[in-house]
Amino acid sequence: MPASFLFGQFLGGLTTAMFLFLIASGLSLVFGVMRVLNFAHGSFYMLGAYLAWQVVQWLTSSGYGFWIAVVAAAAGVAILGGVIERLLFRHLYGREELYQLLFTYALVLILGDAAKAIWGTQQLSVSRPAILAGGVEVFHTVLPFYNLFIMALGPAVAVGVWLVLTRSTAGRLVRAAALDREMLAVLGANVGVIYTGMFVASSFLAGLSGALVTPIQSIVPGMDVEIIVEAFIVVVIGGLGSFWGTFWGSVLYGQVLSFGILIFPSFSLFSVFALMAVILIIRPWGLFGRPVR
Amino acid sequence: MRRMGALVVACAAAALAPWGAAAESTIRIGFPMPLSGPAAVYGVPVTKGAELAVADINAQGGVLGRKLELLERDSKANADEAVRLSRELILKNNADFLIGTLTSSEAPAVSTIAKENKIVFIAPTAKTIQLTGPANLHPYIFRLASNTDIEGRTGATLVARWKDVKRVATIAPDYAYGRDAVAAFIDFIKKARPDIEIVDQQWPKLGQSDFTPFINAQMGKRPDAVFCDVYGGDFVTLAKQAGPLGYFKAINYRLADGGEVGSVDEARALGADYPFGLWSDAYDPVVWSGDEPPEHKAFVEHLRAFTKDPYGSGWAIMGYSAVEALAAGMKKAGSTDSDKVSKALLGLTFDTPVGKRTFNTATHETDSGEFWGEMVKDEHYPFAIMKEPKYLAQGPLTN
Repeated sequence: MPASFLFGQFLGGLTTAMFLFLIASGLSLVFGVMRVLNFAHGSFYMLGAYLAWQVVQWLTSSGYGFWIAVVAAAAGVAILGGVIERLLFRHLYGREELYQLLFTYALVLILGDAAKAIWGTQQLSVSRPAILAGGVEVFHTVLPFYNLFIMALGPAVAVGVWLVLTRSTAGRLVRAAALDREMLAVLGANVGVIYTGMFVASSFLAGLSGALVTPIQSIVPGMDVEIIVEAFIVVVIGGLGSFWGTFWGSVLYGQVLSFGILIFPSFSLFSVFALMAVILIIRPWGLFGRPVR
Repeated sequence: MRRMGALVVACAAAALAPWGAAAESTIRIGFPMPLSGPAAVYGVPVTKGAELAVADINAQGGVLGRKLELLERDSKANADEAVRLSRELILKNNADFLIGTLTSSEAPAVSTIAKENKIVFIAPTAKTIQLTGPANLHPYIFRLASNTDIEGRTGATLVARWKDVKRVATIAPDYAYGRDAVAAFIDFIKKARPDIEIVDQQWPKLGQSDFTPFINAQMGKRPDAVFCDVYGGDFVTLAKQAGPLGYFKAINYRLADGGEVGSVDEARALGADYPFGLWSDAYDPVVWSGDEPPEHKAFVEHLRAFTKDPYGSGWAIMGYSAVEALAAGMKKAGSTDSDKVSKALLGLTFDTPVGKRTFNTATHETDSGEFWGEMVKDEHYPFAIMKEPKYLAQGPLTN
């Protein structure tokens, strides 16, 4: 097998991984801090995609249309996330996970139907922004600029979130909230605001990834449920609640999918599920997670 | 709104009907179809087509002096749900017939209900050969679409024409539909062109969000043509990811897609990003370049006015023709009794906007072939259109 071929496969896996990380990062953040498994994260992602398409339609003449659409979609979903957290989610903190799952699942159905009512069932699509339309050939493998951009954006988002969490006052409060929210409240911090902030940030990441995925994917009803399963897999592989775990979980997922295809061409799904099963047997708390007491 | 529209039409028709006919009850057609979730992309236009046919037939006085009534239910593309709805439609809503289901998972399940209750069931779009295979065939099941065998073979016929092609790869969704069609393709191409070698096969899942690893792996095997069965939103995703990777260019656009991506639906979604130059099929290309049959032209104009959609959909024709076929069957039988109608449908020839179709007495399938053509740019449209759709008849391709 020529080395250039393996290199291409490696890059393909990395593209998959970074897209998945952008989506899963918000899911991981909310679980890590708030202990809420937000099944509706995929729905926010879907709304980001639809909003981006909508804004692109309105701005067809503008050269920066796509980028404006990405920012607008992410901001729109962030606002929606904030409203949902303020009005609905906050009644669920501290409840059993089953209630949270049921509630977020209800959100999935409601948002899915809302998207269908607004944008219909026709598949939609957004073109690549002109500036990233081309590609470059590296080692006999064509590397589209857009994929390169995503490969750079993934680690940038990871490092950015990590810096905020570890180096800023807000980040310290967030980490404190994750450890012991009652004690933090007793010490005078407004835990409600911290939680809303986290949820807004998570929704922003969902909306952003949904918008960024539009140039390389179709926008269809059902994309919400399709993606949430994959996002959950990488979060679980990496370790629930571990942010870097999600990053490396995504990388592993992408590479296992990419090279799994070469080894078992007839069973493309087999390799990633086998990976998850093996990790859950050996380390039930995931690669970077901690065992729950 | 859809229901409202149907209701308004039904009310208007009832108001206009003569007294004698109004006193008669309607002929009820149970219609389980995915109206939500990913499959709604096609379930909705198939439903629109059926609504159009019902409205047309009722405007002309209905069938045997009775109006048709379409009982639409959302099957969510789920076999269990489709079965539950079909039972309910028959037992509770007194449906006289069943038309519907979209996918190859729903149709065989609903077929068993039709058999159990002795109710004629016409599947407009399900393609799996299992549906009408010898083990599952019964007097009440009928299929409108060509099956996966025909899809694979028509694709193979096209690829076989590319004389300098030696290395062929396949990529198709990993479930009954994709597997069956690819099996038929390979079987046929090996006979037609023994010099061709199958160099690679990829099986992404249905709803695959990232095709990049599959595309890279396939390009690594250096095929010079590809048979693809990826369809719908998945095809849009595949095209958008494969284009920039140089996939289509590397095979010189010699890709035949049997997943109906030659219709206006995918073409519109992709716009200028469509991989112009590939070949695909369609139930109905909708936009017809070349010699358009006048019946088709009239149908599409009618459909566009009915749905208030400037372009329409390639899937509406399937719902439309299924209702027309059933109506023709009832007229021939002179009855709405399923036993009589099922006998009448055997060997029945009926009109569709793209020509006459006949139900085969042995297989209960129509003799429908497939429209294939090269997808090209056209100055009149902001999307790809099928250049001179060619009808590949089933005749030489059946077993």
